[in-house]
Amino acid sequence: MIKNSVALNKLDSKLVMAHMYVAFISLFIGGLMGLLQTLVRSGTLVLPFGISYYQLLTVHGVILALVLTTFFIIGFQFALMSKTVGMSDKQRDSAWFGFWIMLFGTVTTAITILLGKANVLYTFYAPLKAYPTFYIGLALVVVGSWIGCFTNFRQLYVWKKKHPGEKSPLLAFMVVINMLLWFIATLGVAATVIIQLIPWSLGMVDTVNVLVSRTLFWYFGHPLVYFWLLPAYMAWYAIIPKIIGGKIFSDSLARLAFVLFLMFSIPVGFHHQLTEPGIDPVWKFIQVVLTFMVIIPSLLTAFSMFATFEVTGRSKGYTGLFGWLKGLPWKDVRFFAPMVGMITFIPAGTGGIINASNQMNQVVHNTIWVTGHFHLTVGTTVILTFFGISYWLIPSLTGRKLTKKINTLGMIQTIVWAFGMSIMSGSMHIAGLLGAPRRSSYSTYGGSEQATEWIGYQIAQAIGGSILFIGIILMVYIFFYMVFAAPKGQEEFPIAEVSEDAEPTPKFLENWKLWIGITVALILFAYTIPFLDIIHHSPPGSPGFDKIIR
Amino acid sequence: MSKNSSKKKQEEHDLKGTLISVLGIGAFIVISWFIVFALFVAR
Ligand code: HEM
Ligand SMILES: [Cu+2]
Repeated sequence: MIKNSVALNKLDSKLVMAHMYVAFISLFIGGLMGLLQTLVRSGTLVLPFGISYYQLLTVHGVILALVLTTFFIIGFQFALMSKTVGMSDKQRDSAWFGFWIMLFGTVTTAITILLGKANVLYTFYAPLKAYPTFYIGLALVVVGSWIGCFTNFRQLYVWKKKHPGEKSPLLAFMVVINMLLWFIATLGVAATVIIQLIPWSLGMVDTVNVLVSRTLFWYFGHPLVYFWLLPAYMAWYAIIPKIIGGKIFSDSLARLAFVLFLMFSIPVGFHHQLTEPGIDPVWKFIQVVLTFMVIIPSLLTAFSMFATFEVTGRSKGYTGLFGWLKGLPWKDVRFFAPMVGMITFIPAGTGGIINASNQMNQVVHNTIWVTGHFHLTVGTTVILTFFGISYWLIPSLTGRKLTKKINTLGMIQTIVWAFGMSIMSGSMHIAGLLGAPRRSSYSTYGGSEQATEWIGYQIAQAIGGSILFIGIILMVYIFFYMVFAAPKGQEEFPIAEVSEDAEPTPKFLENWKLWIGITVALILFAYTIPFLDIIHHSPPGSPGFDKIIR
Repeated sequence: MSKNSSKKKQEEHDLKGTLISVLGIGAFIVISWFIVFALFVAR
């Protein structure tokens, strides 16, 4: 069995920490941009030196949604793999190789954005055109992450060879599912970047097929959000139970949920393109139905978490319908931060169901409601869980302790974040329903009457955003404190065990060929015909526009 | 792991709170959905 509380070996710790530095520095830069955005949008601030609002927004989206998340996740997953199945010297070398490629790509892209040569936002929709190094850098990030994927696959493979007939450790299983999802999904974005956008940006071709590139982007874009969410679920399913002094409710249920996420998070990208002409509505409908399938593993997760909490609370002697809530360690930030994240997922997930519903998508599409939505999902649920992980992961890697003081500061950080986000995201949701657009700098829209309804909410967003920025400063301080200043000691690496009452995990849950087969079949089913259709009926390609938004 | 789980007495957990909570989430989703749907219909 896994020995708890013993941290990783020094070399693995260094590898994970390298990822964490990038993640937390990104958090700071991205957060600063976020604050500036809210100030500009509310008419409070005019950017100096001719800096464009869209340049800020590109930095914000790229560095938070693409850089912070990817580095944190890959680093965290290496920690989990190293802990549960081990890491050989060769595997560690390849992990470092992937890290350096990702970092090189990140820096390349960042420089391009900072020079103002890539005001294309983090979705880089054609026909907005960036300087080639923007795309080349992103392609390198993806290639580096693939090295991470194959390192993880290899780790589990080697472990299975050494443990014939045993089921893989739950967390290793989950990591491999997430990396499979990532690998399959990034094939789409790599295709549009390498085949379409780089040659076009280099001037080798004059035009680009816009709908093809957007379709390939969203083939990647939706699983991207599950790539963010699944590491949070790893912590919820397999780490939180340990922190609260309980057991994993059901190993099979956890694996089943992950398998369902793998199958149903890819063949659904059209739900981001519902308003787009040129895609057959029948296939939009089919992909919306497939989208709704992910509600199943989501509710399985909700059930599983509540059950873990209730069983644990009751085993500690708390009774009554909701008395077990008192049995939870509310004052332990390792629990509190992810718990606030989980609670946030209730409105966040609900918003997602609304977004994906064809008719309602027309109400919210491209409004700031959408921005409000994903600041709840990734910007709160996922991020607060990542913070919750950091409180034990960082000290356990650096050989220090999570002190009482940091625990308290972390609690404050969580509350500040939840409070600031409620204000910012809440007003984004309402303004969106009133029609306020996302991705737009300050404007009075020619004195339009409707636009005057929005300004109060923009100011509320700036207030919420300022509170959030305090949260960012707190978290970055906590991070560096845990790395350099906290007292030396040993911090537990909490991994939960499965409850004795859980049914044994059936073998078929680890039938990788079956799950990959179904996943690929679903993708081919959902995309082949409409994609051929899109190519077949394409309008003429578009030239590039690199000066349209400044 | 599969060994100790198979023959231990399968006492039933009391999961009433869980049931109510999950139903509550379901209700929240449905109500929110209909609020925005009403907005769609009204426009
Ligand atoms: C201090 C905290 C934050 C503030 C004040 C903030 C503020 C904002 C604002 C005002 C916008 C939208 C502007 C527009 O559409 O014109 C935005 C967009 C965005 N934010 Fe944040 N945000 C914060 C944290 C985060 C975090 C932690 C994440 C993700 C991990 C995130 C991800 C995004 C993304 C992906 C966009 C969309 C960019 C685009 O539309 O191209 N934000 N943010
Ligand atoms: Cu989506």
